[in-house]
Amino acid sequence: MAASNMKDIKRRIKSIESTMQITKAMQLVASSKLRKAKERADNARLFFDTLYDTMCEISRNAPEFSSVFTKKREIRTVLLIVIAGDRGLAGGFNSNILKLAYRRAQEISATGKTVEIVAIGKKSVEYFEKREFTVRAKYSEIAEGISIYESSDIVQTIMGHYMNGLCDSIELFYTSFLNTLTQETKSYVLLPLEVGEITKGGKATGLTEYEPSAEAVFDSIVPGYITGILFGAIVDSFAAEQAARRTAMESASDNAGEIIGELQLVYNRARQASITQEITEIVGGAQVQS
Amino acid sequence: MSAAFKLKVITPEKLFFDGETENIIVRTTVGDVGILAKHIDYVAVLPSGPLKVKMQDGSFRTAAVSGGTIKVSKEGVVILATAVEWADEIDIEHAKRSEEDAREKIKIHTSGVEFDRAQAKLKRALNRINVSRNG
Repeated sequence: MAASNMKDIKRRIKSIESTMQITKAMQLVASSKLRKAKERADNARLFFDTLYDTMCEISRNAPEFSSVFTKKREIRTVLLIVIAGDRGLAGGFNSNILKLAYRRAQEISATGKTVEIVAIGKKSVEYFEKREFTVRAKYSEIAEGISIYESSDIVQTIMGHYMNGLCDSIELFYTSFLNTLTQETKSYVLLPLEVGEITKGGKATGLTEYEPSAEAVFDSIVPGYITGILFGAIVDSFAAEQAARRTAMESASDNAGEIIGELQLVYNRARQASITQEITEIVGGAQVQS
Repeated sequence: MSAAFKLKVITPEKLFFDGETENIIVRTTVGDVGILAKHIDYVAVLPSGPLKVKMQDGSFRTAAVSGGTIKVSKEGVVILATAVEWADEIDIEHAKRSEEDAREKIKIHTSGVEFDRAQAKLKRALNRINVSRNG
C-alpha cells in the first residue's frame, strides 16, 4: 500500500509543480504588460482631461448654443458599449463587468426600450452572443496596442448609428484600473452629452474667440472627445485586466506552493512509515530464524 | 526679444512638447495663425497641417499635426492633436506607403464611410510628406 501511495503523491506534487510554473509565468507576463498598459493609460488620461476641460469651457462661455450631441430626444433604443478582456484567468475581472452590463441591459429592456450591444473584447463578444440582445458590432483582440485611429474607427461607426437615429442614447461599461490591487467597474452615459454636467464647476471666464464658431469647435471636438473616452477606457480596461490577472495568478501560485508543502509532508510520513515497516519485517524475520 | 509663453502639445500617446516658446505658427481651418505671448483667449479647430515652433536658438522647428484643437488662455497654449511628429523624425518612406495605400483605397472604396476614412488618411499622409520636405 505504502509504495503505490507514495508514487501517487509524487505524481500529484509533480503535476502541481508544473501548474505552478504556468501560473508563475502568467503572473510575470501580466506584470510586465501591466507596466506598459499603465503608462499608456496615464498618458491618455492627460489628453482627455484637457479635452474635457476645453469642452466644459466652451459650454460655459456659450451656454445657449445648440449641438446635435447635447440635444435630448425620446429614447427608444439604448446602445451599450461593453469592454471586457480577450482572455480569461483573471479572477472576477470579466464576469464582474459583464454581469453589471447585463443587469443594466435587463433593466432597460424591462422599461420597454430596445437594447443593443457593442462588444469589445473576446469575452464580451462570447458572452453577449449567447444572450437575448442584438449585438450591433463586435471587436476582438484589439485592446493590446490599440491605436487612436482604431478607436476612431469604432467611434465613427457608433456615431453613425447615433446620427442616423438607430440609437438614442449610448452608455459605456468598462473596468477602471485604480491600483494594482483594486479595479473598479464603471459605467456612464456617453451620448447625449449632459450640458448641465459639463457646465458645472467654475463660471464663464469671459471673452474667448472661437474660430470658425463656438458650435463648430464644439461639434468638431465631440467626436474626438468620444474617441478619446473610448480609447482611454480600452487602455484603462486592459491595464485593469492585467492587474486582475496578476493578482489571480499570484494567489494561484501561492495556493500551489501551499498544497505542495502539505503533500510533501504526507509523502515524507508515508516514506517514514514504509521504512519503519520494512525494519519491523526484517527484525521480525531475524527473530523467527534465531 | 519678445516674451515667452508656455506651450504644451498633447497627444493620446504622449506629452509631445512641454516648454516655453516665443512664437508659434499653426494652421487652423480658417488659415494660418501666428501666436505670440499675451494673445487673446482663443480656441480653433486644426486640420492636418504644419505647426511651427520657435526654439530657444531662434530657429523654427516644424512638426506635422494630424488634426486637433488649439486652446490659448492666460495659462498658455495647449494643442491637442491625434498625432504629431517633428519634420525631421518623419519616416518619409512610411508616409509614401500610406499615401499609396490611401489612394488605392479611394479607388476601390465601396461605401461612403470607407471613402471618408481613406480621404482622411490620404490627407494625413500628404501633410506628413509635405512637412517633411519643407520642414
